[in-house]
Amino acid sequence: MGLLDYYRQFEGLTEDEVNEQLRVEAAERRAKALARVETLDLSQTTWWELPHPRIVQAITFVARRGLHQYPHTRGTELRDEIAERLGVDAGRVILGNGAAELLAAATRALIEPGQQLLTSWPAYPLYPIMARRAHGQAVPVTGGVDSLLAAANDPAVRVIALASPNDPTGELLSTVALERLLEALPDRVAVLLDESLVEFADAQPADSSLALLEHHPRLFVFRSFSKAWGLAGLRVGYTIGGPGSERLFEELAPDLGVSEVSQAGALEALRSCSEIVDRRASAIWEERPLLEAALRERGFEVTPSQANFVWVAHPQLEGSELATLLARSGILVAEGGALGEHRHVRIAIRDANVSERLLGAIDKSL
Amino acid sequence: MRTDPSDTGGLFVGRRPGTAPVRYRAIPERGSDARQRVDGSFANLLLLAMFGVSILCWGPIPIACLWIGSEIDYLSGSVFLGFIVAFLALFPLLFGALMLLRRLDQAWILVRRAAGHDQRAGAMARVFGITAIVCAVAFAFWFVVIHGPGSQVVPGRATNG
Repeated sequence: MGLLDYYRQFEGLTEDEVNEQLRVEAAERRAKALARVETLDLSQTTWWELPHPRIVQAITFVARRGLHQYPHTRGTELRDEIAERLGVDAGRVILGNGAAELLAAATRALIEPGQQLLTSWPAYPLYPIMARRAHGQAVPVTGGVDSLLAAANDPAVRVIALASPNDPTGELLSTVALERLLEALPDRVAVLLDESLVEFADAQPADSSLALLEHHPRLFVFRSFSKAWGLAGLRVGYTIGGPGSERLFEELAPDLGVSEVSQAGALEALRSCSEIVDRRASAIWEERPLLEAALRERGFEVTPSQANFVWVAHPQLEGSELATLLARSGILVAEGGALGEHRHVRIAIRDANVSERLLGAIDKSL
Repeated sequence: MRTDPSDTGGLFVGRRPGTAPVRYRAIPERGSDARQRVDGSFANLLLLAMFGVSILCWGPIPIACLWIGSEIDYLSGSVFLGFIVAFLALFPLLFGALMLLRRLDQAWILVRRAAGHDQRAGAMARVFGITAIVCAVAFAFWFVVIHGPGSQVVPGRATNG
């Protein structure tokens, strides 16, 4: 390096040159941001949108008013609102920290060590876990109501846990089938019906199962604010029982109740966001058959769904392989292996644009 | 240099003007410690040269132009022509000196950086200001004490004028 070159290397860029360089860098950043396609997470069953601001405001109001006191253990106002909407006696509704906690508590209360919990399979992975935690045994059953009835003849069976619509298959247990099951079951067997996804079903009215409660005291219906209501973070669920359910409810109730901010959020959602939930359900009803048909056209096995997701299998690919291929295209789906059936994947439904992107990714990947 | 908003009373939310770090085209390859010490001395020499050139602007150049003007006046017998020539000589010499000063300032910045200093601005304005003050004080001393009223304060000097 020559003498002058040595000193010239210490010359800084002029202001114009620096500005030009910054402009180029900003343009590159902008182009990169525009070109970047966000990962689409279709592996969750919870609603994907943020809660309505009114819900957040209600929570904020309660939080600012003071969190130094224990909440009302019975959640009277929220419980009364739920009971009024469902047309049931408020004493037959119990609040909990999510439907999952209530299901687990019910299992603990109903099962003694060594006794059995039946569940259709594949099903929500929590059911076997809650049987194990109650020192009982989970028995997966395939084949519908008749298979469940056959398995329930075992004197060790105390509980049947069913989800309707079922997670991950999306299948709905019709009220007729449920009634047939309840009428044929021995008296010692209780049915825990998990209706966390019931808002998305359009094959029958959402509250049709509640009509069975009056004549079937061994039926307990569990619902949640986590899915269609999009409030999974609040952890609020409730159980509805028939006559005589009060004894079980005493064991289901959370020791110190449900958080006051959670109650406030759920209450505000019930009072001001019911229409939003209806719109979400309508959007799913509209999109679900279209997506199912499009997937069948592409050779997928599609289980008829009544939920906000589809349970599909490709004839040549394992669920994990399909999930990996879609992940490369920026779409996350739930592998069936973790949900009880390794050939399948569970894909959440959103809207036409998302379906289009999903189908485009499938066409590109396969 | 304080650039944090809490240091500047929130006046400068971003970077304070004139405090941006120097952006090089490529990361410079610095010389050895000895080379940097030599560059440090070289930078001081350049600064000294800047003082010299700057002082030229405040005394020698105007005086030289006046001398040229007086010579023209003497040779041509025209005071007007003497003034014109003096001014015509003054401007290129003065601006030439300032241009040289600017070049020296830029060279001083580079040599200071080569010597290992984070040199962001030049010293030209300060050098020019300092020499102006020095020359003004010197002129005032000469005018008041040595040449002007000084002849009355210090008797015997008047005959020298």
